[in-house]
Amino acid sequence: MIANRMLAAALLAIAAPALAAGPATLTVTFKVTDAPTGQIMLSLYDNEAAHDGGGKPVAQAAVPVANGQAVATFAGLPPGRYAIKAFHDIDGDGKMGMTPFGMPTEPFAFSNNAPAMAGPAPWSASSFAVDGPAAATAITIR
Amino acid sequence: MPLMDRRALFHRALLAGLGASLPAEALAAGLAAAAQPHWALALGDVEADISPRPLTRLHGRLPADLAGTLYRNGPALFRRGASAVNHWFDGDGLVRAFALRDGQARLAARFVDTPKRRIETAAGRIVQPGFATPARAGAQVASADDANAANTHVIAAGGRLLALWEAGSAFALDPATLATHGPVTLRPDLKAMPFLAHPKVEDSGRIWNIGLSGAAAYVYRLAANGRLEAGQLIRLPRASYCHDFTMTARHLIIVLQPWLHERASLPFASGMVWRPEQGTRVLVIDKDDLTRQRLFELPALFFFHLGDGWEEADGTIHFDGAFDGSPLFATETAPALVEGRYPRTERPLLRLISLHPDGRAQLRDAGITAEFPRHPGGYQGPRPTFHVGGYAPGRPFARSIGRWDWQAGHGTAHDFGAHQIVEEFVPAGRWLIGTSINLAARATELHVLAADHLADGPVASFRADVALPHSFHGSWVAA
Repeated sequence: MIANRMLAAALLAIAAPALAAGPATLTVTFKVTDAPTGQIMLSLYDNEAAHDGGGKPVAQAAVPVANGQAVATFAGLPPGRYAIKAFHDIDGDGKMGMTPFGMPTEPFAFSNNAPAMAGPAPWSASSFAVDGPAAATAITIR
Repeated sequence: MPLMDRRALFHRALLAGLGASLPAEALAAGLAAAAQPHWALALGDVEADISPRPLTRLHGRLPADLAGTLYRNGPALFRRGASAVNHWFDGDGLVRAFALRDGQARLAARFVDTPKRRIETAAGRIVQPGFATPARAGAQVASADDANAANTHVIAAGGRLLALWEAGSAFALDPATLATHGPVTLRPDLKAMPFLAHPKVEDSGRIWNIGLSGAAAYVYRLAANGRLEAGQLIRLPRASYCHDFTMTARHLIIVLQPWLHERASLPFASGMVWRPEQGTRVLVIDKDDLTRQRLFELPALFFFHLGDGWEEADGTIHFDGAFDGSPLFATETAPALVEGRYPRTERPLLRLISLHPDGRAQLRDAGITAEFPRHPGGYQGPRPTFHVGGYAPGRPFARSIGRWDWQAGHGTAHDFGAHQIVEEFVPAGRWLIGTSINLAARATELHVLAADHLADGPVASFRADVALPHSFHGSWVAA
């Protein structure tokens, strides 16, 4: 196990020395087709346990929707795998709307546009690599 | 089995014997068809919307005072490619309109355009979860409405049709074209909320309904035009499965059978457990103050459908329903029907529940099999119960239409015969109108009977040029 990890680290060092260099910046672009108002609220996770287990995100942001788009930027991220849970706060009240039964009423989406399955998409489907100064991902909210 | 069918089977068997000369798919289709029982038409697949067409008059004459449209809803697509739903209740809803005018009858039918139907049409497979169908690879479930089959009932309100399911929104349809407008959100915070397929309508047109989530119920009060007047969350004593509820002029009545939702899991039915030792509880709620509640106890009962209730001057409440002894139909029979099997028999019995002011609850048997109870409207006093019946061992579905009078303690019926599968009939003024599947003619039929002279049989019958699968519930909308 440890030998494997060392081997992998050695291979990575040879193949992509840039990876080891400094923090990354991630730009998340939302394509928003459901409603023209409000803001996108998103949580960024850097590990599976927190993401799938209801733990704390590593960063959060709220970005306004304009012209069917919203852009969030996270700077200074250690390179690695990340995942995003986002929802469209259409009425701009700063929280996810809920039914009396506690089900969401505002549209939501996950990184990789991973589909929900009676709950948030799992880390295995929504995580992606952030590995450079200009990492980018796109999410559609409809 | 009629001779023709036996001959057709023989031909298929012969062709199967000559299999080498047939494409494999044709052979498989032939064998599958040969294995299907006669009644399998009731769960056949409709591949596309049914364009408007006249029905053929078989006999009789339409009453002059009967003009309007019988809307009906029911599952009509169970299989895509090599995949199939796991349960009768999980097919795509097909809304049918039987329009009566100038002595003529016409039929048109359209599938409700749900997210489930769009996703599965694109996939070419059944992938979405349902009542008892699990989610499969490619499923997308962001909300309950992504699993909504909109296949159970159709009512008219505010100039629209509402195609109803139970664990998600009503879908609004155009009553003239049957085109789908989309899911109905009664208020922004009620998006995709459970909304049972059996709303109850007062004489004023006011509509009551409930939606359930575990041991919580949301009580909806709608104006006659379908707009929300009030909604309130209430707690229930237990997390029973309820397909239906009932009411009197003054009270809502929620029958809490001991089929309990014990695990949050998909599909829905996989989280249900039968606990007969816990008996049945009946919750009576004051319509004017939902916090004023009474609870009654009965032995274990299983049901889908209840009749409308009424109250006596002393406050005694009566309502009937079609009751089984266990959820066997839901858990074993209805799944098997999709595969063309009818393995177990438990026939629904017409029974009356009486709730007395002193807290006693009483159960009476009519002594007949019955399902799909319907009443002529009004909640003021005892009215006849119209129902389908004639359930017999060895064959699923009803073959007769009946009328039961609890005051007199007797009923009348018209038996359509062993070659007919009789669907729900609904009151329309002095008349009862409904559909059947004629297994001999392999066609859907429309029949009108005089509500006071059921035993005389239909006063008029019509036949379509297609056999539509068994529908669940519908509404008569007078012209």
